[in-house]
This record gives sequence, C-alpha cells and structure tokens, in this order.
Amino acid sequence: MGKKSSLQDSAVAKHKHRHRMPEEEEEDTTKTTNTPKDTQTHQQLPSSDSDSDSDYNGEFSEDDGSEDSESLRYSDTEESDSFGDEGIIEKVNSDDVTNGHGQEEESDDSELHRAEESDSSEDDVAPRNTVGDVPLEWYRDEEHIGYDITGKKIKKKEREDKLQSFLASADDSTNWRKINDEYNDEVVELTKEETKLIHRLLKGKAPHADFDPHAPYVDWFKWDGAKHPLSNAPEPKRRFIPSKWEHKKVVAYRRAIRKGLIKFDKPKEEPRAYLLWGDESSSTEKSGHLAYIPAPKPKLPGHEESYNPSLEYIPTQEEINSYQLMYEEDRPKFIPRRYTSMRNIPAYENAVKDSFERCLDLYLCPRVRKKRINIDPESLKPKLPSRKDLKPFPITCYLEYRGHTDAVVSVSVDSSGQWIASGSMDGTVRIWEVGTGRCLRVWDIDDAVKCVAWNPVPERPVLAVSVEQDILILNTGLGNEEDQERIKELLRVKAPTSLDDSGGIASIVSWLQDDKHGGIKLSHFKTVSSIEWHRKGDYLSALSKKHSQRIPFKLHGLPVSSVFHPTRSIFFISTKRNVRVYDLVKHKLIKNLETGLREVSSIAVHPAGDNVIVGSREGKLCWFDMDLSSQPYRTLKCHPKDITSVAFHRSYPLFASCSDDCTAYVFHGMVYSDLNQNPLIVPLEILRGHRSSNGRGVLDCKFHPRQPWLFTAGADSAIRLYCH
Amino acid sequence: MGKHYRPPGKKKEGNAARYITRSQAVKHLQVNLPLFRKLCILKGIFPREPKKKVKGNHHTYYHLKDIAFLQHEPLLETFREKRVYEKKIKKAKSKKNEERANRLEQQKPDYKLDRLIRERYPKFIDALRDLDDCLTMVHLFAALPALDREKVEVKRVHNCRRLSHEWLAYISRTHKLRKVFVSVKGIYYQAEVQGQKITWLTPHALQQVLTDDIDFNVMLTYLEFNETLLAFVNCHLYHSINVTYPPILDPRLEALAADLYALSRWFAATSRASLVGSEASSLSGSEQVKDEQKETSLNESELRLAQLQHQLPSNEPGALMHLVEDVSIEDEEDQDARECKTLFGNLKFFLSREVPRESLLFVIPAFGGMVSWEGDGAPFDEGDENITHQIVDRPTQARKMLSREYVQPQWIFDCVNARIILPTDGYLVGRVPPPHLSPFVDNEAEGYVPDYAETIKRLQAAARNQVLPLPGMGKEDLEDPQNLLVEGIIDRAEANEAAERKRKMIALEKQYHDELKMELEGVPYTSSVSNKQSSVTETEGREEPLPDLQQIAEDAANMSKVVMSRKKRGLLEAIEIGKKKKKDHVVLLKERKNKIKAAQKSKDS
Repeated sequence: MGKKSSLQDSAVAKHKHRHRMPEEEEEDTTKTTNTPKDTQTHQQLPSSDSDSDSDYNGEFSEDDGSEDSESLRYSDTEESDSFGDEGIIEKVNSDDVTNGHGQEEESDDSELHRAEESDSSEDDVAPRNTVGDVPLEWYRDEEHIGYDITGKKIKKKEREDKLQSFLASADDSTNWRKINDEYNDEVVELTKEETKLIHRLLKGKAPHADFDPHAPYVDWFKWDGAKHPLSNAPEPKRRFIPSKWEHKKVVAYRRAIRKGLIKFDKPKEEPRAYLLWGDESSSTEKSGHLAYIPAPKPKLPGHEESYNPSLEYIPTQEEINSYQLMYEEDRPKFIPRRYTSMRNIPAYENAVKDSFERCLDLYLCPRVRKKRINIDPESLKPKLPSRKDLKPFPITCYLEYRGHTDAVVSVSVDSSGQWIASGSMDGTVRIWEVGTGRCLRVWDIDDAVKCVAWNPVPERPVLAVSVEQDILILNTGLGNEEDQERIKELLRVKAPTSLDDSGGIASIVSWLQDDKHGGIKLSHFKTVSSIEWHRKGDYLSALSKKHSQRIPFKLHGLPVSSVFHPTRSIFFISTKRNVRVYDLVKHKLIKNLETGLREVSSIAVHPAGDNVIVGSREGKLCWFDMDLSSQPYRTLKCHPKDITSVAFHRSYPLFASCSDDCTAYVFHGMVYSDLNQNPLIVPLEILRGHRSSNGRGVLDCKFHPRQPWLFTAGADSAIRLYCH
Repeated sequence: MGKHYRPPGKKKEGNAARYITRSQAVKHLQVNLPLFRKLCILKGIFPREPKKKVKGNHHTYYHLKDIAFLQHEPLLETFREKRVYEKKIKKAKSKKNEERANRLEQQKPDYKLDRLIRERYPKFIDALRDLDDCLTMVHLFAALPALDREKVEVKRVHNCRRLSHEWLAYISRTHKLRKVFVSVKGIYYQAEVQGQKITWLTPHALQQVLTDDIDFNVMLTYLEFNETLLAFVNCHLYHSINVTYPPILDPRLEALAADLYALSRWFAATSRASLVGSEASSLSGSEQVKDEQKETSLNESELRLAQLQHQLPSNEPGALMHLVEDVSIEDEEDQDARECKTLFGNLKFFLSREVPRESLLFVIPAFGGMVSWEGDGAPFDEGDENITHQIVDRPTQARKMLSREYVQPQWIFDCVNARIILPTDGYLVGRVPPPHLSPFVDNEAEGYVPDYAETIKRLQAAARNQVLPLPGMGKEDLEDPQNLLVEGIIDRAEANEAAERKRKMIALEKQYHDELKMELEGVPYTSSVSNKQSSVTETEGREEPLPDLQQIAEDAANMSKVVMSRKKRGLLEAIEIGKKKKKDHVVLLKERKNKIKAAQKSKDS
C-alpha cells in the first residue's frame, strides 16, 4: 500500500509547507499558478514517496501513469493547481529516473529556492535562519541565533521578563494559539484552520476533512494494452523430450523396489482396544516381582465441600481472617463457599493443579503398607487388678490438724502411731495426737524448721529437729516415767561424752546442751537439710550443704537425700543424678543407681530393703529393684510438678508420693518373695485437699506405721490425715 | 551356610543392598531423568520406604528389584530408538531437509501399552480397583481446551471425551451409579462395578483455569496410560453386556454434542440386534432395558459360576459354601441395583437450556428416568404432555404448565442420594434449595448430623414403610392415604425420639438419686467416726459433689496413664488429640448453628 501511505504523506507534507508559511495561504488561493513554490512542494515529499515514484517509473518507463498518480495526489487539495503543474512534475520525475542519486543536490537547490522565495514573499518578516539542523544550544551563549541568507548574523530578540510575559499572556485571549519558534526566535500564531488540522492529526485522522482515506481503488494501469510477451524466443527442444537421467533414476528405483531394498511404510493403524482380560481363568499366573501396593484413594469429599453446604459449615469472616494468622501448614486448604443455585458455581480454579498434585503423589511418594491404627484406646491401658481388691488404702481425708501459721515442711510419725510431730516455717515444732487432732506440745524455735524425725525406738520418744545450722534433739516428754528418766539421763549425759570422744568430729559438729528446750544441740557449719534415724535409733544421719568428707562417701555433687537400709547396715545417699549405696560396715560402695532423672528430690526404701523409690523434681517417680539392675525398673510420670517427698508403708504394700501440684498419689507396690516375679505397681488413689500457697503444694507425706493412713503436710499450713 | 566374607567397607547386605536412590537408579538404567520418570509412570513403579535409609533421609529410594524390572522392560529399548530418531529428525530439520524429517517422523518406532496394562492388572478386577484416578484424569482432560504450547492435542482431548462418554454410557445403561455429589470442585460420582466402588470427579463444564506451575509432561504420560486403560476397560465392559466396541455413533447427534444420547441409541440398537426374539419396543422403554439387564446378569452369573469353579479346587469342602454365599451377596446387590433402576421409573424429565446437561443426561437414565433437552436431536420436546418434571435453573419461570413440576437440578441429585423421590417444595424455581449434603459422609461417625440429613432420614423411613402398609391404616382415609401415612410415620418417629429422650432423662435422674444415696450413706459413716474437725471436711464434701464425679473419672484416666509405657502413652495421647479435634469441629459447627439461629430469631422479631 505504498501508494496510499505516500498519498497521506504528501498531504502531511503539504500541510507542513503551509504551516511554515501562514501568509501563503491566501496567496495560494488567489494565485493559482505559482510555479516555483509548487516545485518546492514536490521536493519536500518524504523519501519513501520518491522511492515509490522511482520504482514506478523504473518498471514501466511510461510517464503518463506517474503523471496520473501525481494528479491524484493533488486532486484532493488543489484541484485547480494540478493541471497547471504538469510540466514541471514531469521534469522532476525524469530527473529522478536519470540521476537517482542526485537527491541531495536537489534538496540543496530547493533550500536555495526556498530562501529566495521566502525573501520575496515575506519581506516584512525577519530574515530566515540558515544554521540548519544543529542543536540550538550551540547558540545559547551567543548574541545571535544564526545567519541569514546573506551571511549576516541574526540578532537575538530581547527576552521579555517572566512577569511581563505572563501578564501579556493572561491578557491575550489567543495566547493558547501562540507558539515560540526557537529556531527563528519568533512567536508564531496558529490560525484557526491550522488548529483544526492539528486536532485532526492528534486524533489520527487525515489532516484535511475532505480527504477520503477509503476511496475506491482505481487501477490506472492499462492492462489490455500489452499485446506482446516479454520474450519472443521459441520453446526449447528439451521441453518435448523425456529426460534420460530421470529415466535412469526411475529404473534404479524400480530395481531397488523389486530387490526389496526400498520398503514402503504401511499406513499407521490406530491402536484398537480388544478383550485384554479375555479369559480370566488363565491370568492366575503370579507376577515375579515385588508386591504391588495400590495407591491410597483420594479422600472423599465431606459436607463442607458441597456447592450448597448447610450454613453452619461456612466459616465467618472473622474465622477466615484468623486463618491468615495460622501457620501455613495448619491453615485449612479448602474454605467452604455457598452458591444458592447450580448456575452460579464458578469454575474451580485448582482443578488442573489438584490433578497434577495427585499425579506427583502417585509417582513420587514412597508407598508403604501400613497397618491401620485402629486401636481401641481402652486396649492401650494396661490390665491392672481392680482397686477394690487392693484395699485398704487411704481414700478420704479424715482429719485436719491446724495450728501452724506457715507452711508445714516436715511431718513425722511416732513409732507407736499415736503421735505425730510437725515442723513448720513459722519456727514451731508441734506434737499432735493422731486420733483426736489435739496439739500436745509446742516448741517455739525461732528459725524455720527444716525437718523433724522421731526416734524409731518406741522406748526412746526423742525428736530430732533440724533448724538452720543446728540439729536439736528434743525430749518429747511422752512415755512412762521410766522412759522419761532414761531419756533425760541420755540427753544430759550424752552431750559431754560425745564431745570428748570424738575430737575430730568436733570440727564439723559441735555437741551442746540446749537448756531452753531441754535437749541437745548439734551445730553444723552449714544449714542442715534433712535428718534420718537409723532403724535402731542409735545413729542419725544429717545432710548439710557442706561436703561431708569425713564419711568415706565420695559423692559427685551435693547430697540431696539419704536413708538407712531398714534391716542391714547399708546406707543410701542420693545426689541430683544418682543414688549411691554404701555398706557402712565395710566402708564400701555397693551400687550406683542411675536414675536418669534430672534432679532427685527424695528417696525411700521398701521395708524389705530390696526396692527403692526415688522422686524427682520433674515429677517422675523411679522404682528400683536392687536385685534386677541399677536402672529403674519402672518410671512413673505422675505429677506435673516437683515431687517433694516419697514414702513406703512399713507393713502394707503401699507407697505414696506427694508433689507441689497439691496432690498425693497412693500406689500399691507389691513385692513378691519369688525373685522371678516382678514387683506389681498399681496406682490407687489421687489424694487432694491441700491448697497451693506460694507455688508450693504438699511438702511432706508419711505413712502411719500400723494403719494404712497417710499424713500429708501442706504449704497451706495444714496437716491432713487420709484414712481408708 | 555362613555368609560370604566381604572386606570391611564393602558390605552389601540388608537395606544397603536392597534399595538404591533415584540418581543411582537413573545411572544404572542409563536413561535420563524424564525418561526414567516416564518409565516409572507407565510401569507403575513407585519409590519405597526402606527401614534404614542408608544414603540419608532426603533421598528417594527404589527397590533394586523394581529397577531390575524396569531394566528388562522392552519399552526401554523402544524409547532409546525413539530418541535416536528424534535426533535424526532434529538434524534433518536443521538442514532444512523437510522430506527426510517427515519420512523419519513416519518411521519412528511406536509402542503400545496393552502388555503393560495386562502386566500391571493381571485381572480385570484389579484394573477396576485402580480406576478412580484414571477416570478423574480422563474426565478432566475431556473438559480442557487443546493447548498447543503444552502439547495437549485436539485429538487427545477428543479421545478423552469419547472415552469418558463411553464409560458414562455404560454406567448409565447398566444402572451402576450409586451416589452423586455436586461440590465446588466438580461433580463426584460413585458407581459400583463388580462390587468395586469407583469414585470419580468431573469438573464443571466451564473453562478451566490453567496455571504455569504444572508440568504437563508428567500429566500427559499419565494420561497416555489412563486413556489406554480406560479404552480396554470400556471394551471389556461393553463386551460383558453384549455390545460391540467401539460404538459407532450417529454423526448428527455427535455433531450436536449429544454423545451420551447417541451412545444410548447405539446401545438400544445393538441390543435389539443381539436379542433376536425380543419384541419391538419403544426406543428407551424400561421393559427392554430390564430384559437386557436380565440377560446380561444371567450371562454374568454364569460366567462367574464358571470362574468360581475354575478357581476353587473341587475337593475343597468349602467350595460349595462359597458359591452359596456368593449368590446371596449377589442377591443383596440386586436389591440395591433394583432400587436404583426404578427410582425415576415412571418419571419423564425435560432439561432447560441452562442446567448442566451432560451430568443430568447421565444421572437420570442411570436411575431409570426418561429425559430430553432443549435443542436439536432431542427425543421429545418441551410440549410433551407426559413430562412430569422440568429441570430449571433460573430465577423465574415465565410459562408454566400445570401438569409438571419445575424443580432445580439439585433435586435430582438429592433424590439419587436419598434413593427416594423427595418432596419438591424446597426445590421449586426461584427458591434457595435446601443444603446439598455429601453422600460420602457417615454422619454418626462424624458426630454431627445436619438438619437436612435428619429430614431425609425421616422421609426415607416413611417411604420404606409406605411399601409395606400397616393393616387398618389404609382403610381409614382413602382420599389421601399416602400423606396421612407419611405424617403418621413422622409423628411416630417423633414419638420414638421423645420416648428415647425420656428414657435418657430417667436414667440421668436415677443416677443422680443414686449419687445422693451414696452421699447420704457416706455422711453418717464419716460423722460416726470423726469429731468436730470432720465437719470441715464434710462441708467441703458437700460443697463439691459434682466436680468430684468428674475428678474421679479424670483421676482414673490419669492413673491408668501413669503406669503406661511411654510409647503407648504417646499413642493414646495422639488418639485423644484426634478425638478432641473431631469433637472441637462438631462443637464449632453447633456453635455456628446456634449463632445463625439466634440471628434469624432476632431478625424475625
């Protein structure tokens, strides 16, 4: 469509020309034949136009055709001009044909022409600038903007200052039509027609309203005129003779086909389905390879995936928003939506993706045959003997002993089971009558009591109390007169003798007479944490913070708790991690029990002596069977908080643990004399009732020596007795 | 015999010898990864999980036997040859030798998958068992546009469409469809073929959304296999009902995209041809269907009998017993099938233009109904007097005929799932239909029964009793016995429920009284023993009798947990967490329901 575009171009060029010379407009209309100007017009046509022109001419070398096209070009705008210009255009065209490269020359010529012409037509206007197409910045600092045709400098006009120009522009209603032509340093005002043209151009239309871009195409070339062929040569002979070489080739192919060297492709047939599993009975042969594990079927959709689920399946907006806060793994994959009719269902956006993911699952995921975990939770629970068969054991709180004003730290039961002693943080030691809850006696020791312990010998109702750095051995004043006298004598006499006897020990322990409470005071250097009597009531073990190097016990870490073997001369001492078992006679380490706990808090020995329980700060209880191994036989995780104390019953197969979570567990712990039978451990009862204070719950528990009763000392300053 | 000695560090035993990683396998087979993938997909080889992952946790492991199995696959050689040809073609093309390229393209070795299918599914039933994914995929691709850039050709899409229609036609014809569920993702169908429950998903008939993060190569490999599998399965199924395969369809109907109907015509035509003595009957008359069904089922049962006899050794004493059992099971199946076959037995449907035609054209005949649609080639037009239901999915219906009911398509699906003809009140034109519930959910096991499920259950119970009318009930009111019956039954059901509730109440009351009694007994016991202090405990005991009960239960649970081993405790806790999740979900649903109810109430008032 070179022709059409060239048509448009010419129109544009024409327009440009007009723009350049606004005054010419009138002249054009008046003077119909202005020959030099029109030549120039033609010269300004863009190169594409001239190219097409030259092609045109080259092909047909006939001038009247091109002439016609030219006339078409101008017919729309200047109908009257077109015929008058004819001769000149012809001349130009022939120029093009003769010297195709003479373009530049000619353009120079036209420049000349233009300058002259402008001189002639626009005398009143300042002379035209002749600097050409150079950046105007080059003249920025000069006084002139260029040179006129005669080579004189064209001076710059005086610049109006901004304010003035603004004011002028504000006053002038035609200001929007004015354009500053920097090249000529003048202000050009567009005429109404020009603005119209510009508007049309901006819209992308042809500049002239009367131009029809879709005019019917007229073929100006006379096709019927050509009578003769381009070449008049006769048909060559070879066109009529069969080719020898082709014949040879055909023969060769024929031979090859006969010999079977060339095979023809059979048409490809579509794979057809047939009865693949025709005879089922024959297909029983076993495949040699591994068992095929069928892929699990995709999950079937639930109510919430329905297009119209019940309203309750649709999450509220808040819930949907809250999904954003969840971790991406936890976030629900599918958010139910509701459409009130089937025509409203949109396409599911993940249909292809879901299918693709399924494909990936099928070929990427390892498949394992897994047994369905369909276990009845009841079956996981171990079969334990019924609790009813294991009676009696403490069940309910029967009595509460109140009187202490602060947390009761320790409680101890008299060997007869008639009395209990309790030590508290408020600095008192009290003796209670078990049956009635009557407080028998109160010692007011100023410091907080750590531990109290009755002497296990019934004839010697003596109480050991640990307070800060001291151990007090108090006369309870119980028992008959004979006993009383003996005790008084014992407490009085013992002090000086022991002091004399063991001068070495004195460095650690000093035995003093305590007149205030009527007993003996053993002062240590460091605070004493716990006391334990030997079963015969002759010896006393006290644990203090200081490393007791005197004893042949080498410990790793601080001792936490200690206990004497109930029948033999064996001593258990526990550090935070392990329990060490020493033979007191041979001064030898017998065993090291590895608890596997983080921090042991208490320890108790079964009355038979072969089983030990250890309570820990993380709430775990370990049962050790000494004959079995040094590893725990059973670890029970029963308390969420620290276990503060554990205890064995002396005659019943019971043991208990109490903890800071305000509960005490009672267990049945049967040890059989048959060595092949493992001990039976059954949790029996959780005893509650104590209240928490300062984050501490039950601080101590002790069994009654004869009855299946349990005493618990709580941080809520109460002692409770649980009976069966 | 002892183990062979191997130098240390070279020991290849156990898991190290039995499993290899994927990269090792690829190297071993001398193929590239895409080809390995393709082979695995076609052969159905999947990674396995060794007990001990020798190479590390982040590898995929294949069993060595699986890989050996791949190695002996003739397909491997074919693929290699193909690759050679592809290289040649590429070279020819780059040398602008189009002719040679075309010739090579034609000579490229081709492969067939029938042997693989036979190998993977030695019995037909195995193929049926694995058909779920196959069907879903073929149906998806039938709804996809052809994509040039993803190598999804028009031919393949057409093939998928054809296969899916063949399958649907078979299911519909033999009344094997059991459940339908319209979800947001598409429509789920469940059919029962030879005792296998086959569930598949068809996307909604809309333009599918395609995302960039999809590797179509993998999907196309799967599709290739699935197409072949479905073709063979269809062939087998068609032969089992004495219809030739592949069906030749009426080109006019095919052009109108009414393939399903064309297929049903094909069925009718071929069955007429095969049943020599059968009477000339209407086009899709139900008697004819029944006749054919009878014969096919007869054939099938004979076949089965023969199979069983083949499989069971004659000297086994239980052989006969097995046979008898099998027959009884089949009878049960027949009961179910009969119910499905006659659900829409005497109903005639007409589909409006806006309803999902393909789905309904499949579902309604599957349950014994007659159906037509708006458009060319339809068996009967809208003006037919005998039409009982017109399926409409538009806000209002301008012209209504009194002889028929205008219902929304959901009604069909709900009827199918409930296996009864539901009342159409809720589904009339312009109404918001009742919730559409999934037939795949066991409401009791889930712990939450939606309201509409209860209503359907009640209606089902009513319908069941309707078949066996109560004596004396029919005589009372002859005018509208059915309605009355339904009402009566509903009443009865309610009464039953009330009675049950009462029983529960009584039980609760009794329990409470017992507790009271226990407490009363407990009080004198403690008071007789204790002194003044006991009053403290007593009051405490009185203060919290109820939490005590709870606590006792909790304690019991706690105590049993204490003695458990850690593994078992973990398992139990996991179970409990799962249960709790389920319970929480139910609670959430109930909460939402209450909220909605409250909101409605406040709106009403």
